[in-house]
Amino acid sequence: MKTTILISIMLAVGLSVAAQQKDVLLKVSGEVTTPLELTASDIRAMPHITVVANDRSGTPHHYRGVALEDVLSKAGVTLGRQLRGENLTKYVLARCADGYEVVYSLAELDSSFVFHVPIIADSTDGKPLDEAKGPLRIIVPDEKKPARSCFQLTALTIRYARD
Amino acid sequence: MRGAHYISKTLITGLVIGSALSLSFNRDHPHPYKLVYPTYFGDRYSIPKDNPETIEGVALGRMLFYEKALSAGNKISCATCHQQQHAFSDGKRFSRGADGVRQSRNTMALVNVLWTRNFFWDGRTPGLENQADTPLTNIHEMGQSLEISVKKLGARKRYARMFAAAFGEARITPERIEKALAQFERTLISCNSRYDQYLRGTYKPTASEENGIRLFYGSPNPARAVRGASCSHCHGGPKTYEELFMNNGLDSIYRDPGRAAVTGRGYDSGRFRVVTLRNIALTAPYMHDGRFKKLEDVVDHYSDHVVKNRYLSPFLQNNSNSLHGSELDLTAKEKKDLIAFLNMLTDSSFITDKRFSDPFVHS
Repeated sequence: MKTTILISIMLAVGLSVAAQQKDVLLKVSGEVTTPLELTASDIRAMPHITVVANDRSGTPHHYRGVALEDVLSKAGVTLGRQLRGENLTKYVLARCADGYEVVYSLAELDSSFVFHVPIIADSTDGKPLDEAKGPLRIIVPDEKKPARSCFQLTALTIRYARD
Repeated sequence: MRGAHYISKTLITGLVIGSALSLSFNRDHPHPYKLVYPTYFGDRYSIPKDNPETIEGVALGRMLFYEKALSAGNKISCATCHQQQHAFSDGKRFSRGADGVRQSRNTMALVNVLWTRNFFWDGRTPGLENQADTPLTNIHEMGQSLEISVKKLGARKRYARMFAAAFGEARITPERIEKALAQFERTLISCNSRYDQYLRGTYKPTASEENGIRLFYGSPNPARAVRGASCSHCHGGPKTYEELFMNNGLDSIYRDPGRAAVTGRGYDSGRFRVVTLRNIALTAPYMHDGRFKKLEDVVDHYSDHVVKNRYLSPFLQNNSNSLHGSELDLTAKEKKDLIAFLNMLTDSSFITDKRFSDPFVHS
């Protein structure tokens, strides 16, 4: 009896610790109305689109993922109709697990500005991303170099550009 | 007896007046210290608002950097493992702490740390002020609590004056010790190597150095017979530094988990800081565990011996000078040329600069 109680207490504690330490893959912060901490299942649950982009050697691949603008909109970032005036001075700083950082202006991510929106990919050619590049990576279609299609995305920070 | 009492009283009064004078003189006037560096280094660094660089703060930081009283048993100072002639490293695979125990990782050089945001091989600590905590207090490093350090410095009379000059009042605190050290370390800027002279147009590189530069910045494209070593992909531009952490194919079984121990992420296994290559010829041995004795060993590693492992950096994959090759495959001459370039990054004025040397030698 005592053992059963002990085990159930341990289980309950273990589960609540697990619940507190949810496996956050991507944080969104800065000029947002709702900061986000997204897990793999949060991202899986969002609408996915497919884009085609070339790798370093010029070979095209199909990448499937969530439009960056959808993630930013979920955080309340000023996109679409709100992307005008001083909001056009905002940028997104993407940070990756290896320390790599790259910037996009908001307009470059917005479907009212560009024909093919960048995505946060979670699979490629029907398979999960390579472990050294995933679980999440940004894919910017239509760029000649893949330098802004960064690997192992961990955070997006939205800021105003200032002098 | 009465005479002795009189003398000590006069001395104390003199000291009090002296420090009061220096206090009133310095209180509002710590003088700004101008950090000088070439424009091609860029200004993407940040200095905490509550710890601006001042001449007085830097002078105190230099003194503390060489102060053995900051260690258990007054055995070592920061400069014991960070020696100027080795670009502030110590030439050892693993340095020993005040207790004689070896470190688990190779001592990092201190070169252009102004541009570093997160410290140690695994980038676990943001900011130089916080970084100082570990070497000062770790039992296998300097091994002394900051509270004891404060007391020991308080017993040395020069410090009341120097803390007053740097911080507007003579009180010695753990926070101020770390602030002053950080101020000094930010001044350790190396920008007068032959490569800098080349960038300024005052040095003409040899043919070997020139080819080394080309290989360093170039990427291989065997289909077009373009040779390259892709070094700059991670080591960056003229600073030869970007704050990156990579699995560079040293092992397939990670004896030291590297950054994974900090983040808890599998993909950070075997991932360590990409170091600056400034003064790299002076900072042997190489890698987080000092496994390579010479630059030749390092270049051989990247050319021929990168270990394919689960989390190997994508930048070290499919990066060959041979068609369908799996290794970088540099020729013996190309390796020599790359090393000729790496030697161009040695800055002899940095390792002889009196502003960075041991102040106790002359005091």
